[in-house]
Amino acid sequence: MVGKGLLEGMRVTLKAFFNKKETLQYPEIKLTMPDRFRGGELKLDNEKCIACGLCARACPNHVIELTTGTDEQKKRHLKSYVYHSGLCLYCNYCIEACPTNAICWDKNYENSRYFKDELDVDCLAISKQKSATVDVAPADKSNAEQEDTLKRREKDE
Amino acid sequence: MQEITGLFKIAEILRGILGHFLPDPQLVDICMSLINIGAIFTIISLTAVVLVYTERKVSAFMQRRSGPNRVGPGGTLQSVADMIKLMAKEDIMPAGADKWMWILAPILLFIPAAAVFVVFPFDNKAIFADLNIGIFYFIAMSSQSVLPFLMAGWASNNKYSLVGGMRTVAQMLSYEVPMVLSILGIVMLAGSMRMSTIVAAQQHTWFIVLQPIAFVVYVITATAEINRAPFDLVEGESEIVAGPFTEYTGMRWALFFLAEYANLLAVSVIATTLFLGGWNGPWLPGWVWFFLKVGGMIFLFMWFRWTFPRLRIDQLMSFGWKVLLPLALLNIIVTGIGMYIYEFFS
Amino acid sequence: MLKTETFTLNMGPQHPSTHGVLQVVLELDGETVVQAIPHMGYLHRGIEKLAESRTYAQFIPYTDRLDYVSSMGNNLGYCQTVEKMVGIKVPERAEYLRIIMTELNRIASHLIFMGSLAIDLGASTGMMFGFRSRERILDLFDMACGARQTYTYIRFGGVSADIPSEFIPALQRFLTDFPAMLDEYHRLLTGNEILYHRLKNTGVISGQRALEIGLTGPALRASGVDYDIRKVEPYGIYDRFDFSVPLGQVGDCWDRYIVRMEEMKQSASIVTQALEQMPEGTVMATVPKVLKPPAGEVYHSIENPRGELGYYIVSDGGVNPYRLHVRRPSFINLQVLNEACQGLLIGDVVAVLATLDSLMGEVDC
Repeated sequence: MVGKGLLEGMRVTLKAFFNKKETLQYPEIKLTMPDRFRGGELKLDNEKCIACGLCARACPNHVIELTTGTDEQKKRHLKSYVYHSGLCLYCNYCIEACPTNAICWDKNYENSRYFKDELDVDCLAISKQKSATVDVAPADKSNAEQEDTLKRREKDE
Repeated sequence: MQEITGLFKIAEILRGILGHFLPDPQLVDICMSLINIGAIFTIISLTAVVLVYTERKVSAFMQRRSGPNRVGPGGTLQSVADMIKLMAKEDIMPAGADKWMWILAPILLFIPAAAVFVVFPFDNKAIFADLNIGIFYFIAMSSQSVLPFLMAGWASNNKYSLVGGMRTVAQMLSYEVPMVLSILGIVMLAGSMRMSTIVAAQQHTWFIVLQPIAFVVYVITATAEINRAPFDLVEGESEIVAGPFTEYTGMRWALFFLAEYANLLAVSVIATTLFLGGWNGPWLPGWVWFFLKVGGMIFLFMWFRWTFPRLRIDQLMSFGWKVLLPLALLNIIVTGIGMYIYEFFS
Repeated sequence: MLKTETFTLNMGPQHPSTHGVLQVVLELDGETVVQAIPHMGYLHRGIEKLAESRTYAQFIPYTDRLDYVSSMGNNLGYCQTVEKMVGIKVPERAEYLRIIMTELNRIASHLIFMGSLAIDLGASTGMMFGFRSRERILDLFDMACGARQTYTYIRFGGVSADIPSEFIPALQRFLTDFPAMLDEYHRLLTGNEILYHRLKNTGVISGQRALEIGLTGPALRASGVDYDIRKVEPYGIYDRFDFSVPLGQVGDCWDRYIVRMEEMKQSASIVTQALEQMPEGTVMATVPKVLKPPAGEVYHSIENPRGELGYYIVSDGGVNPYRLHVRRPSFINLQVLNEACQGLLIGDVVAVLATLDSLMGEVDC
């Protein structure tokens, strides 16, 4: 019968009308990102970094700009470490290349900015500031991350 | 039967109060007319606000979203906010537009959409002008809305608009014919074109029971008349961007929108009056029944829109002329024969 | 003397339904299409040229950005091409994971097709439903590789990481729910008479013409040509699975729609089979850090949701490809637009565009 398909379709939409909503109300409810989530900005742990520059070389798009220097004991250390998030492809290559797990994602997906130069992140300064202010055991990474997100949330509110 | 209830009673009370202050009964009449006009315009503008919100909620629910829920409790003030936004928008006129035609089009579209409200029987006796040719008036007025679409399409100096305008003429003219013929069956049964008589004739049996084919034809043609999906070829968002509305901004565009929703209300009111027994119904007051039925019809039209894909222009035309028109004519013949047989036996 | 003349209408690049930034210059006689010439290049990023200044491994993230709704397939095609050049043997488990991911991606891509077709024809609820189900697949990908669209999951010699423990239960839940979802779409869209009449006998491409012009993928199979690289030249481990290749008869929009809807069912069955057969083990072969394929050239193609995706790589023995060319199915399928649209109406152009399912990211490369 002609029109049966139309009625069937109307049944589908009517059923959907009374069904549970599938969407989340974003600013109030936020999805938890999976463990492997790649996104946000790079987070550098200055104490772990051996300034080998492998991350910058692995990057397909020259996102990481770093300069190194040597101190008195002839040990290499970072002089600057800038992450241009505007160029980033989020391919994870830098993190995979790192021999000491010194960099990771900060898992914050709200990374829109008002100005273009805010997209360039000085990871080294952030890392130094953090180690100076927050006294967290370096092994307890996940905890530190949680605190970090908590703080950011407080700041937002 | 003619006890004074509902909206008419309110009007009577108002008339009484005015009678105390105004000596001349003619002045009272004029005042009452002004109040009625105010009431109708309030209904029209409220309609747009309420219906836009309803449409967005209905569409959201059918797509399993939650729809507007930020402005006001449950998002109810969303369309008010939208209206304010539209008023604040820049009024852009395309270069090379036919200025006067372009300006007049949305206004001319709104006038017939508002004028048809005159003959709507909201409750027993609550009708602004109970013309003896009420239905005829409605058809005549609503067919006026073809021209403004074409004017907007032509004057915009935009090819999408022109295609949209031409589509409107083809669509609305060809769907008017089966629509009128489907209404004719009702007029035959009721023996009158007066709205109040038609409603009164349905006190025992709604005409939808006697005229199911006419109802189906009416609903389909009405959807086409008010350019809603699946017959929204005039706008045809994915094909011709927004048709005649493409170049309009701000309040001018809002007038089109207002007219669209006023028309939606109008065809729902007519469906209620002609087929669903108007204000007739047990227990509840007449106007509550009336608005419940109108609401049901509006939901039906929205339900169509958020379920069906759009027809193509040639399919639309052939469906109108080859399916709906014969169906409507057949309905008239069957109604005539049925009436003859009924009279013969009783 | 009265006479009529045709007029030109620029459909796009700013238009609600050209799927990105395609410009179609329509020559119209009233509403009838006389000519429909696609103009592309609005999304050109020079990806082929970029490859020449990247190492082989560094190019994988760029393949994600070709056909951005089926990135897994793009990764797979590129990685298999390079593996063919160097001669890397991929571990069993990784092969199965690759199959699962690409087939899931095929479902996701076809869901987008269905959704965009629905909204192009004016049924926006269909789009919402399609995207809702796709979200389930994206969640799975997110779990496995941390990205929802640009996966870079498939690498030379395997996949970037083994799936997490919660992946398989979630995938099984999806596979159980999927038939019901598909049934819902069939009831909402396939059974709909309006949709049927819109799609039936519009944009007919004969099998002969389709072969001449080089159509591949569902668009070719809808014209009745039985050509699926997964069957004809099984790459990876496709010869181990039991699936059928849905074919159309006429080659109209309706056939292209039905073929894709059927393909989703077949893909789900492949995923189920792969899940049953998948062994334990490593997911990555030992691959040298810096890849230097021997000088020479290689072409390898896979069956992507949109057709035959081929990579042609010329190596001069260095760390970067000397020249890399991608055979993009969307680009080649789009050629047929003019022929398929002639004599149709404006509304049909949209339907033909949607059923050819060209993706601008891939057309412009």
